[in-house]
Amino acid sequence: MSSDLIAPMPLLQVRNLTVDYIGENAIARAVNGIDFDIAEGEAFGLAGESGCGKSTVAFALARLTRLPGLVSGGSIRFRGEEVLDFGPERLRKYRWNEVSFVFQSAMNALNPVMRVSEQIMDTVRAHQPKATGDEVRARALEMFDLVGIPSRRLDDYPHQFSGGMRQRIGIAIAMCLNPRLVIMDEPTTALDVVVQRDIIEQICDLKNNLGFSVLFITHDLGLMIEFCDRIGVMYAGELVETAAADQILTAPRHPYTRALGQSFPPLTGPRRRLEGIAGSPPPLSALPQGCRFSPRCTSAVALCGIEVPTLQTDPQTKGQVACHLAQ
Amino acid sequence: MRFLVQRLFFYIAAFMVAVTLNFFIPRLMPGDPATMLFISLHGKMRQDQFAALKRSYGFDGSLWDQFVAYLGKLAHLDFGISTINFPEPTSSLLFYAAGWTLFLVGLATVVSFAMGIFMGIYAAWHRGGFFDSVFTPVNVMLNAFTPAIVALILFYVFCIHWRVFPLGRAHGLDDQPGWTWHYLTVLVYYAALPVASIVIVNFGSWHLGMRNTMINLLNEDFVVLAKAKGLSDRRIRNQYVARNAILPQITSLAMSMGFVLGGALITEVVFNYPGLGKFTLTAIQSRDYSFIQAQLLILTASVLIANLISDVLNVIFDPRLR
Amino acid sequence: MNPNPAPSLPDLMKSLGLRQKPGWVSRLPSGLAAVLTNRKGLAGLVILTLILLMGLFAPLLAPYDPFHRAGPPSAPPDFDYLLGTTRLGKDVFSQMLYGARASLTVGFVAGIAATVIGVIVGISSGYFGGRIDEVLTFFVNVVLVLPALPLIIVFAAYVDKASPLVIAIVLAATGWGWSARVIRTQTIALRDRDFVLAAELLGERKWRIILIEIFPNMFSFVVGGFVLGTIYAIIAEAGLEFIGLGNPASVTWGTMLFWAQRNAALTTGAWWEVWPPCIAIMVTAAALVLINFSVDELTNPQLRAARNARRIRRYLRQRNRSPDVF
Repeated sequence: MSSDLIAPMPLLQVRNLTVDYIGENAIARAVNGIDFDIAEGEAFGLAGESGCGKSTVAFALARLTRLPGLVSGGSIRFRGEEVLDFGPERLRKYRWNEVSFVFQSAMNALNPVMRVSEQIMDTVRAHQPKATGDEVRARALEMFDLVGIPSRRLDDYPHQFSGGMRQRIGIAIAMCLNPRLVIMDEPTTALDVVVQRDIIEQICDLKNNLGFSVLFITHDLGLMIEFCDRIGVMYAGELVETAAADQILTAPRHPYTRALGQSFPPLTGPRRRLEGIAGSPPPLSALPQGCRFSPRCTSAVALCGIEVPTLQTDPQTKGQVACHLAQ
Repeated sequence: MRFLVQRLFFYIAAFMVAVTLNFFIPRLMPGDPATMLFISLHGKMRQDQFAALKRSYGFDGSLWDQFVAYLGKLAHLDFGISTINFPEPTSSLLFYAAGWTLFLVGLATVVSFAMGIFMGIYAAWHRGGFFDSVFTPVNVMLNAFTPAIVALILFYVFCIHWRVFPLGRAHGLDDQPGWTWHYLTVLVYYAALPVASIVIVNFGSWHLGMRNTMINLLNEDFVVLAKAKGLSDRRIRNQYVARNAILPQITSLAMSMGFVLGGALITEVVFNYPGLGKFTLTAIQSRDYSFIQAQLLILTASVLIANLISDVLNVIFDPRLR
Repeated sequence: MNPNPAPSLPDLMKSLGLRQKPGWVSRLPSGLAAVLTNRKGLAGLVILTLILLMGLFAPLLAPYDPFHRAGPPSAPPDFDYLLGTTRLGKDVFSQMLYGARASLTVGFVAGIAATVIGVIVGISSGYFGGRIDEVLTFFVNVVLVLPALPLIIVFAAYVDKASPLVIAIVLAATGWGWSARVIRTQTIALRDRDFVLAAELLGERKWRIILIEIFPNMFSFVVGGFVLGTIYAIIAEAGLEFIGLGNPASVTWGTMLFWAQRNAALTTGAWWEVWPPCIAIMVTAAALVLINFSVDELTNPQLRAARNARRIRRYLRQRNRSPDVF
């Protein structure tokens, strides 16, 4: 499309990504052909309820799909290269040098029997075999500095740190090779609000200083709006809307996004009756015909139950929406 | 540290339970050793002889007096006089036999643990492959065989059919005990088949335990992270997965000690090895009660000490316990 | 604009080699279904059933009375005596059949008893917590740590000629520890779940909560404990009788081995006295282990997920791709 020729090539281009979970006698299509882009230095958020497939997308982008998951179709282009075709060697360079990952629960993401310093250093050593012991250790110290943990704790074990500090260590490990894209899967969900704030501010600082892009996965829409530049909303394995962060609640175009907005109480302003969304997401084994949100949508028309809406880009706002009613 | 002290107290308590059981079981059964002997001798015993016998077995006086006397004797490691090897005190027989059993069990445990763990690591790493689909079920099934059967089979094949190994004993009649190379080789030669039969039955449980624990760990976030970080497969397997998977195995090591000792007793009987098992069998057949009760305490003590060692190993390997 | 479209679900299933669940399987309770669909478990179940039938119909199938002399002593197997005779002239084949009865009975009785004790202790310990938990856990740990065989030897020495039933009781008394520990862990995990809290708030009586809410959810663990307990009992019983602690006059696989050893069967070449009971014990134990494999998969769904791993890897290899993580 013409807009592609004018704008610089996005850092990450995802087209028609499809991820399945292979069961004993059935297959569940967790992600059903989603498209989105992430530009250099951009923070892109992926929002949605639990089970909508956003974590699955995150793992797929970093080529970390665990069995019995399978990426059965689509393309992921990182700086123009097709990530799904990477062989083991290229994949090793891709992961951590160019793209890194921060797990949801740092409690589980750190090796309990290994010192924290070692967990950063073996990464550096694996990718820079020529580096000397001193250089590697210096890098580890640097990372600890970066995330604000006192250096004297460098040789402690993970269980000796608090939850927030452990998450910072996870971020430090993710940064240690200066990646271009950091994927964060619910990095603050397991933490309390005060620590959450701290961590988010830390990530913001790092992003401004080092200039990497972020794919930020969370179900906390409010947090996402503060931190991200653009947001994508997922529902039942599909992308239903993408828009600039400041637009997503003020000018939502998809009924689901609108309903999400209405279930968030504003901190200021007049008291308003909260409206949840009636019903629950469809089970992957019994998907409705047509639009997946139509059974719960208050504005659904007959067409919604028959034909699947496709993702359309608005040439002005560059936002996308998949809804028959938004045309 | 506190963890180890806690465990030590528990083991002392458990030992006291064993001591108490050891005291009460004979006294709960109808009759007592002195009366049993009296009956087996068809009453050919004088009254004062009978009374003296009863006293030496500790069955005279009130229950409380008996218990106190019993504990007192134990504190002096006095297990009574053995009836089979009269007037040899039970303790000297016991320690001689226990030494051989512990040698056998110690060697067998080290070998089966090492074999099982390494095979388990390999099976988990190449799971679904040829080695795993064939050897995992086979090893587990070997684990379910009674040691008596394995011992019998080995005995038949290697001692009778193909006379490769000796028919029994811990060393040849002419071999001089001592810290010589020759003697040590002799020891291993004579212990080879008994150790083999214990190992065959036991290593399967280490294999399965290690394999299953490792497979569970492969889905943990920190292992996925290790792979994502681009570490070599070998480093992930050894430092991230195996090092974590071995911790529950060390705990199982402790739990299995009781079982291994049981198997060792039976194996000794088949191979005529001069360990506690063989002596206990003779003791049972000739109703040497002092020996029978003493072997319980010695074996219990060994198991508890082995458990303590395993706890120490746990503390060494798991930084979370320090 | 649709690069690399994914295959439709039915096509993908076909390329992976997956098949729909046959109708009859989905009508079974999930536990039974899991055992039947696992090939190893099914094999184990079949073998065990055959042996059970052998023992059950022993009086009908046995050609001779196993307790008395039936033919010439130490006769090798032939048409009259399918597995030969012992040194005392008793028919080995008949002994095998009756032995199956006795050994399996001891095994199952001990297994059931140990499991029942373990479940009661485990659930009480886990559900009631506090002091009860501390005391019970101490006893569980003691039972687990004290070596069983020496204890049984002391006991049997004083009992003198322990019948198989007595052996079963003693084995149950020493073997309930592992079940108790596992059940306790499961109870603690389930106790805090919402549906139990709801039942408590509704004022359900404790025993009803335990029986109806908690117990059904740990059924697979109970079955697993039972299978392991039975394996332990069968092996231990054979071992005890082998060293002469049982009643030598009874006919079980263990006493057959005892007599074989006594009669120096191996050295005199009377292999038929030794191998049949050996093989019988091995096969029964193997069958129980196979059943345990599928019970393991029930309690540990991760192992079941691993089954499909091979298919997915093959699919990827065909398309020149490699799996992302193991």
